[in-house]
Amino acid sequence: MSTDTGVASALDRGSTGPLRYAGGAVVAIGAIVLVASLLAFVQVVPTTVAGASLFDVLALALVAAACCLIAVVVAAKLGVLDTAPDHTAGTSLAAVFGLVGLVVGGLVAAQTLGFSTLWPIGALAGAALGIVLAIVPQEDSALAATGGGFALLVGGVILTDVIGPNWRWQPEGLSAAFTPETTLPILLGVTGLLLAWVGAQAAAGFGTQGKARGASLLVSANAAGMIALLVVLISFIAVRGWGPMTEGIRFGLFWEPVTWFQPPGLDEYVVISAPLLWFHWPFVMEGFAITNAINGVAPAIVGTVWLVVGAVSVAIPLGVGTAVFLTEYAEQGRLTSIVEIATNGLWSTPSIVYGLFGLAFLVPRIGNGSSLLSGMLVLSFMLLPLVIITSREALLNVPDQYRDASAALGVSRWQTIKSVVLPAAMPGVVTGAILGVGRIAGETAPILLVLTGEPFPETGPDLLNFGAAFTSSFPFVELSFLNTDALLQPATALPYQLFATITAGVGDVGEGFSWGTALVLLLVVFAFYAVGIASRRYFDTKLQS
Amino acid sequence: MSVERGLVGRLGVGDSPVGVLLGVTLLAVALTFFLAPGLVIYPLAAFALVVVYGIFREQGTTARVLALAATIVTVLVLGLITIYLVAQSIPAFRIMGIDILTKTGGKLWNPSSAIYSLVPMMWGTLVTTLIATAVAAPLGVAGAVFIAEMAPDWARGLLKPAVEALAGIPSIVYGFIGFVVLNPFMAEQFSLPTFGSLFVVGVVIGAMALPTVVSVAEDAIASVPGPMKDGSLALGATDWQTTTAVTLPAAFSGVSAAVLLGIGRAVGETMAATVILAHAQVLPDPLYDVFGNTETLTSLIASQYGIASGSQMSALFAAGVVLFITVLGLSIGSQYVERRMERTLGGGDT
Repeated sequence: MSTDTGVASALDRGSTGPLRYAGGAVVAIGAIVLVASLLAFVQVVPTTVAGASLFDVLALALVAAACCLIAVVVAAKLGVLDTAPDHTAGTSLAAVFGLVGLVVGGLVAAQTLGFSTLWPIGALAGAALGIVLAIVPQEDSALAATGGGFALLVGGVILTDVIGPNWRWQPEGLSAAFTPETTLPILLGVTGLLLAWVGAQAAAGFGTQGKARGASLLVSANAAGMIALLVVLISFIAVRGWGPMTEGIRFGLFWEPVTWFQPPGLDEYVVISAPLLWFHWPFVMEGFAITNAINGVAPAIVGTVWLVVGAVSVAIPLGVGTAVFLTEYAEQGRLTSIVEIATNGLWSTPSIVYGLFGLAFLVPRIGNGSSLLSGMLVLSFMLLPLVIITSREALLNVPDQYRDASAALGVSRWQTIKSVVLPAAMPGVVTGAILGVGRIAGETAPILLVLTGEPFPETGPDLLNFGAAFTSSFPFVELSFLNTDALLQPATALPYQLFATITAGVGDVGEGFSWGTALVLLLVVFAFYAVGIASRRYFDTKLQS
Repeated sequence: MSVERGLVGRLGVGDSPVGVLLGVTLLAVALTFFLAPGLVIYPLAAFALVVVYGIFREQGTTARVLALAATIVTVLVLGLITIYLVAQSIPAFRIMGIDILTKTGGKLWNPSSAIYSLVPMMWGTLVTTLIATAVAAPLGVAGAVFIAEMAPDWARGLLKPAVEALAGIPSIVYGFIGFVVLNPFMAEQFSLPTFGSLFVVGVVIGAMALPTVVSVAEDAIASVPGPMKDGSLALGATDWQTTTAVTLPAAFSGVSAAVLLGIGRAVGETMAATVILAHAQVLPDPLYDVFGNTETLTSLIASQYGIASGSQMSALFAAGVVLFITVLGLSIGSQYVERRMERTLGGGDT
């Protein structure tokens, strides 16, 4: 019976009892201090709470948590708590607190003691102190000494007003000046994070379990931070852009005549009326004109759509063709590896370099000026490597048995590719293409150089032009569906319009217009991504069934 | 000649009239586009006719030739980019000599007296890239470890689309937020003398490079063979010990390739730097003043292409050459370490 409990406690150490609560409290306080100081840094929470300074309250919390941590370690030393500390805390703790010591020592030496050029001595002394405290004692004492000690130090500095309201630090050689409003949150946040890390190790009873718990806390916090970044970015744009984007939307049902005709024998027209939905959304349906009550981004939306259509219709055939050639026809050897290196090189080439290339190569050949066609081609070159890489991956993932089975039936190689390999590789190709489209739809730098003219036009490129006419020359009938003039004219696009609102000065467009444009751009790009992810799901389930 | 015939023969292109016709018309398209771009429509029409004919008569050959042509075009694009960048930048190199890469004293950028030194821009790119790497590399690798090794299913299902969405936010949107929100914030809170600073650009670019690092590093970590981890776990190691002692060392090449790719993204990032920086083509004083203002290679091009002509344009192309070579080197380096990883893991497809 007694051995049983012993085994259980060795496996679940720290999962019950006072150790868990005490360690958990340290983690919780550290996390709360971290979040509160982040919010204080971006100034969304007031800096006074119930008459006291927020920073003093947070510093007090840190001191309390540090005392709690030290109490845990003392209790563990006395054998009250069941822990399994290692001999030494290991290199990660030493590295972290060596760095902390380096920074603190250097700053103290330079600022407080006034060593002008000798500050490296202070820095090195601080680093040495941090490393010694982390490595020399047993693990539990080391954690208390470093984490708890640092928290006590920071708390003391803040509570005793060493960094008080009138504190100001202008480091020599840096343009920035540090004030308490920004320095204290940074200091508190870092301390809170370190304390939470150390507390998590204590809560799991130190040792390997403790290290695992501490690491998983940091890594999870990082992941949560990424999600928070995404949410903050998108909601920020959505909140600011929603108003301008939806301003002036009007719609209604109207009883309107749909068609009318004159039946034979009657003198009157028969009018057939029906309810019609009328919808007007100025921001996405209007261009930019003095007469407009609300200016909109319709030309930019049209331009972006045409750019994407043009880029896709050039890049997809080329890219899939290249992938088919490399995978199905060419022997795997030097040629394929050269093309592979070339595609990977193209993929990481900066977008502005594509723009320069378009400026030097395409613009002189196409209309000698910015044009929609140049923009399409440059973006298609940017899209090309991604299409090749994803298509090639998809083609390589088609099992060889498919090809062998088809060949065994006497089917020619091209027939095999067309009816066996390509359909099986379709999901990968489509997904890659759509994700690439999402990328080029938001690309600004290359089109800046080859596409754009007037930043705020009244109308977008009018590319479709269906018509038929008789002409005097061969072949005497002219069927047109493409307005080639529009291809050679400059156009605008959503990302360029957003850029233009920044550079043109916000004077004549207003910041709301910019936020609205940003939101529309984000919606367009995410729409492409949503289609890409949905089609990946669709093809995946179709392949599996 | 014999090599060409060998290639043509091996591809089975030369033995069919359709193949030859396709080749000839394509060549005509290419030549016309180079020499007389206005007339390109005629050979293009001829090519289309041959394709239509080929699809009905000899579909196999047509497809093969078209696939070959697509491959050639791809390689040609990279070749043309290189050639045109270098050719356009030659005048600037001729005016400045090696000084364009090394001149650090006196006036550094003065188009009216044809002085072009890329040193401030190279320094700006270096500093912003370093800051961006300091942000993106540790956080990105930690995120990849979380997704590949630690996350419960629901968190993975949440985080992977979130990372894809972060990668999808256009760079100009990041730049806009940096310009409208971060710049005033920094100016007010840190009393910056100028609007915009290398520090803000570096942090913003780091956030933009983060998703690249996460997704590539996650692929590398996920491709470590399961039995390697099982062996470690069977010896009684915790999950975290397995991650640090087995998985990460095994995936080290892949993870460093991810970081290199992220660095490449950061070097080439244009719009955020263009919008946030104040475009001063001088070195910050002192050099380590990360809150100071200078220019990056990318923002130099984006901010000056409109007013540049002659030798100044050529200097912009020289900046493009420096960028291109840097990023190509990073890309080839990351491909090299990735291949090495495939070798060490024995195929890497497990």
